Amino acid sequence: MKKFDKDRLLLAFAGPALALVTAFVLTMIVLAATGVDPIDPLRIMVENAGYEDVQVLIVNQAGTYYLAALAVAIGFRMNLFNIGVDGQYRLAAMVSAVVGTAVTLPGPLHILLIVLVAMMVGAFWSGIAGVLKAKRGVSEVVSTIMLNAIATSLIAYLILPKNLGVQPEGSNDLNTGEIAQSGWFPAVDLGDGLEIYGFTFVAFALGIVYWFVLNRTRFGFDLRATGASESAAQASGVDAKKMIITSMLISGAVAGLAGMPVLLGESHTYSLSFPVGIGFTGITIALLGRNSPVGIFFAALLMAFIDKASASLDTAGYAKEIGTIMKGLIVIAVVVSYELVGRYGIRRQQQKVGEELAAGGAIKTDKEVAA
Amino acid sequence: MRRITRIATVGLASAALALSATACGGKNSSDASSSSSSSASGDAKAATAAIAYDIGGRGDQSFNDAAYAGLQKAETDLKIKGAEAEPTDGEGEADKVQRLTELARKGNNPVIGVGFAYAPAIKKVAPKFPETTFGIIDDTSVTGPNIANLVFNEEQGSYLAGVAAAKVSKTGTVGFIGGVEVPLIKKFEAGFTQGVKDTNPNAKVLSAYLTQPPNFDGFAKPDLGKAAAQGQLSAGGADVVYAAAGLAGSGAIEAAHAAGKWAIGVDSDQYNQAGLSKYKDKILTSVTKDVSDSVYNLIKSVKDGKPENGEIRYGLDKDGVGLSDSNPEYKKMADVIAAVEKAKADIISKKITVKTAP
Amino acid sequence: MELHGITKRFPGVVANKDIAITVRKGTVHALVGENGAGKSTLMKILYGMQKPDEGTIAIDGEQVSFTSPGDAIARGIGMVHQHFMLADNLTVLENVVLGGEKLYGIGAKARKKIREISDAYGLGVRPDALVEDLGVADRQRVEILKVLYRGARILILDEPTAVLVPQEVDALFDNLRELKSEGLTVIFISHKLGEVLKVADDITVIRRGTTVGTADPRNTTPKQLAELMVGAELPSPETRESTVTDIPMLTVAGLTVAQGGLAPVATEDTARTPESSDTFVHEPAAGGRLLLDDVNFTIHKGEILGIAGVEGNGQTELIEALMGMSSADAGVITLDGADITKSPVRKRREGGIGYIPEDRHRHGLLLESPLWENRILGHVTEAPNSKRGVLDLKAARKDTERIVREYDVRTPGIEVTAASLSGGNQQKLIVGREMSHNPKFLIAAHPTRGVDVGAQAQIWDAIREARREGLAVLLISADLDELIGLSDTLRVIYRGRLVADADPATVTPEELGTAMTGAASGHLEATDNRSAGTDAGADSPEDEAR
Repeated sequence: MKKFDKDRLLLAFAGPALALVTAFVLTMIVLAATGVDPIDPLRIMVENAGYEDVQVLIVNQAGTYYLAALAVAIGFRMNLFNIGVDGQYRLAAMVSAVVGTAVTLPGPLHILLIVLVAMMVGAFWSGIAGVLKAKRGVSEVVSTIMLNAIATSLIAYLILPKNLGVQPEGSNDLNTGEIAQSGWFPAVDLGDGLEIYGFTFVAFALGIVYWFVLNRTRFGFDLRATGASESAAQASGVDAKKMIITSMLISGAVAGLAGMPVLLGESHTYSLSFPVGIGFTGITIALLGRNSPVGIFFAALLMAFIDKASASLDTAGYAKEIGTIMKGLIVIAVVVSYELVGRYGIRRQQQKVGEELAAGGAIKTDKEVAA
Repeated sequence: MRRITRIATVGLASAALALSATACGGKNSSDASSSSSSSASGDAKAATAAIAYDIGGRGDQSFNDAAYAGLQKAETDLKIKGAEAEPTDGEGEADKVQRLTELARKGNNPVIGVGFAYAPAIKKVAPKFPETTFGIIDDTSVTGPNIANLVFNEEQGSYLAGVAAAKVSKTGTVGFIGGVEVPLIKKFEAGFTQGVKDTNPNAKVLSAYLTQPPNFDGFAKPDLGKAAAQGQLSAGGADVVYAAAGLAGSGAIEAAHAAGKWAIGVDSDQYNQAGLSKYKDKILTSVTKDVSDSVYNLIKSVKDGKPENGEIRYGLDKDGVGLSDSNPEYKKMADVIAAVEKAKADIISKKITVKTAP
Repeated sequence: MELHGITKRFPGVVANKDIAITVRKGTVHALVGENGAGKSTLMKILYGMQKPDEGTIAIDGEQVSFTSPGDAIARGIGMVHQHFMLADNLTVLENVVLGGEKLYGIGAKARKKIREISDAYGLGVRPDALVEDLGVADRQRVEILKVLYRGARILILDEPTAVLVPQEVDALFDNLRELKSEGLTVIFISHKLGEVLKVADDITVIRRGTTVGTADPRNTTPKQLAELMVGAELPSPETRESTVTDIPMLTVAGLTVAQGGLAPVATEDTARTPESSDTFVHEPAAGGRLLLDDVNFTIHKGEILGIAGVEGNGQTELIEALMGMSSADAGVITLDGADITKSPVRKRREGGIGYIPEDRHRHGLLLESPLWENRILGHVTEAPNSKRGVLDLKAARKDTERIVREYDVRTPGIEVTAASLSGGNQQKLIVGREMSHNPKFLIAAHPTRGVDVGAQAQIWDAIREARREGLAVLLISADLDELIGLSDTLRVIYRGRLVADADPATVTPEELGTAMTGAASGHLEATDNRSAGTDAGADSPEDEAR
């Protein structure tokens, strides 16, 4: 039996490894083809990652990415494609920032309130897509994309000074006002003004919760079963509609958290320059990490590394879009290599089972024992 | 200053794994370059200036390019070295802090943040580098002894555009196209509308914004500007459109040219812009915003040892904003020019106060 | 046509070994063998879909080598697949010319040619009928015509009778005889021995990838043939003594399900609709059509109720209504005295309904999950799988090992995915799982479909054993022998209604077939109640052995 486990583990690594190697090689080919030194930019990126301030950026960014990717992964495990994480976290961050500014509570309670509001808003926004899918059969892909656009417009409207926003004196920016210090999440201070957001650790801890719920609870089993085969899950007693709504709600609630590391740890307000696009990177990361909490962790670090380490490439005379190319190639490579490795794995296992059975490797059954 | 931690390096194992071949080579040189960069900051001989771009980066044919032009001018005229850094899409405050810190640490002076998005970051970084002058464009919310706030009275230039548009218009309907609905662009709209109404109280101003933040496509996609302008020109009955929409504005100019109506450009004198030469005979005028000069002036002031600080406002009085007159057609319109000149004088003499919000 | 020493290896497995077949021109040659004996591989080789590793194929004495089905077609070989490959929304003409446009064009000439072929072989195909309006048998004739249209002289028919009722089978055989008389050669793959004996001129038996013998249909009995095929004695589905009690376990009263009466549940229903049309008289699926119409029956403890019917006459809907996967529009379902009409699936499963689904890949298994997770499926709330909402993996794994042992699931371990098991072993796992929760009532839909003979016997044994302990079983099967052999009571479903009942002790498959087509109703035989099965079978000992 150990043999199959080892095999599976090996294959689990083979997918991402193949994807990454392919992506990096392709990147180098692209660079070489455009007449750029193919090695040097990558060398600079690795070098950049050696600096402490870049490392802090990477870790903080990875925390944010991790939450977004978990949100996407929850959907993926259920065969739902929540493209709406981006709108969900932005709306959640905006509304929770407004609430957080409006109240003053003792420290932990203040933070808890902001976090809860964010989760609720995120869940509400994705829940719309869930209900539409369950009740009306609307594809969640379409509805979440549209909800992203609606979220953008809604935020743009809400943040107007005549509504919930403020325009600080002398600024051309709009924000939601600053959250009182009691609502700032304590950070890990590394000196030199370098801080790792405290919420980053919450994010990684959530990975453990994710793993437990999915792999060790009835609910998680139902969710995975539905993702693996909706028809079989339904026959097994899973209420598919309820499951769609529930998992969308959870996915949205986690998505709502994706804005929290920045909101609680850095900006303390939602402004026009609040980070965007995290939800989409989250999709890449969930794919690359194969929806596993550990895989997503490394994938999030990798994406954050590419982001941050490539950011200063232009000061060295290279286009920092090299990072973007790399990310794009990783997505393609991931999809292709996982498919290949997956097929190979199934074929290989069927073969091995056949071989083992032929070689008399089956578990002794009663019939044989009796014979 | 820059230490290399081992802890986080472990976390990066996955990335390093994929790059293991280059990673080994990288370590030594990262040590080397970290020491060289710190020494560079210490005894740099040539003065250097740095600008950190806003979203879009260099090549946006607008705001960022104007800042770059200022830097270029400083490089040739003042014999300084320029450094640039571009943002990545969707980045947060921490990235901007890191970018400014790095630029300041490398000994660049001044360090200029292009765009209001840099305000929170400058607020954090400026106190740490008291010897460095930080410039920020379009923001006065952050202040400090070493911060220069470079701001413009866009509404004044737009007011003049409104006067010109109202004078030229035969239908009495003019159009305004804003790129992204942010307060900055609202200033353009406010000035323009006021200019039109003050000139012809019966005139109608059609207003449209291409996108809402954080979607900044409205500054980047000409097709959006084109579609909006077509709507205003045909269905709306406008015969002059003023597009304050960065690159997207070129679409509006194209649409106006196709319809045989007037367009008013923005930021730089678009009549002379190479990319728009096909349509230039229909570019009535442009509202200029002299970002490049403001950048140049700041660099010069630092070089001269008298660094600017506090609010440096560029209005009509300093020709920081204005209305271009490169189009020969425009030059022939004596009554229009007269009205514009009069309005300009009135604003400078404060007889007219232009609103900054619609 | 002659095949010699055909050997095909797949990595780790030899699918075909040294196969030798000689097919005489102008005959119907039957290839029989169990599932997995290597028939399909052989056919794929013949049709050019795969290349043999060794061996030769000769047609009319000339050696040939195919690299693609195109080559095979060019040599006059045509294949009629088990699953029809027709586009529903096109006419017969369009389907036939599709891909063969160069032969006779797409217009009048093609139509004339189709008529010609149809008349020549008595196929009775109307070129302008829409395929979706055709029944199964008609579609099959279109498939045959499609092959003939392309000039085939040798036809390969893969399990052509699996989807037909006995009367249709006879009609098909008439067609085959017609073809034969015109000098065409037919290779007929089947594991239904009675049929093979009826139509074939020569029979070749394949077992474990190799040809083990030939038989002359004129002096061979089905039993001899079967033993040749299995290499051992043939199991029989007959039920011995009656264990029927008079305690009702499941009562269904007035059960009615209307199409469109409930919102389609995700992909489920939509995927089924094309097939669920009636076989003979196609009615466009108008909203509100009754899929189940006032269905009433009672199954007692220890009773097996068999439902016969052509597929798509309401069996799926009946199962879904009983399982709670779709809700009944009218009627009451009572399980062991409790009204479960409104209960969700999980409640019903917890209440003691076991379910062997008709399509195990869609409804019974998570193919890419390990066996122990499949053991949890459907019983996640029950011991030993979980405690208070948290899974008990250790207990579940242990119990999976028990099932593997007790139900003879041939697997190297419980960590392999369900997909890597053969159909029979997958089915045994499902049966074992469902039986492990002491069901009061079992729905067994085609429990031995696609299962080899050995596993078939074990599954029958398991059902029979549970019945003896008081299990009530609803058996739905397309295999009439299985139905007659296992059931205590028989009902026939036709267009959503239970139109006839029969005594399995006396009814013949032909009589059942008549009722399945709607041609007969009411009680099918002079009454003689439940002395089930005692006279049906002669060979008995292995049944009682367990």
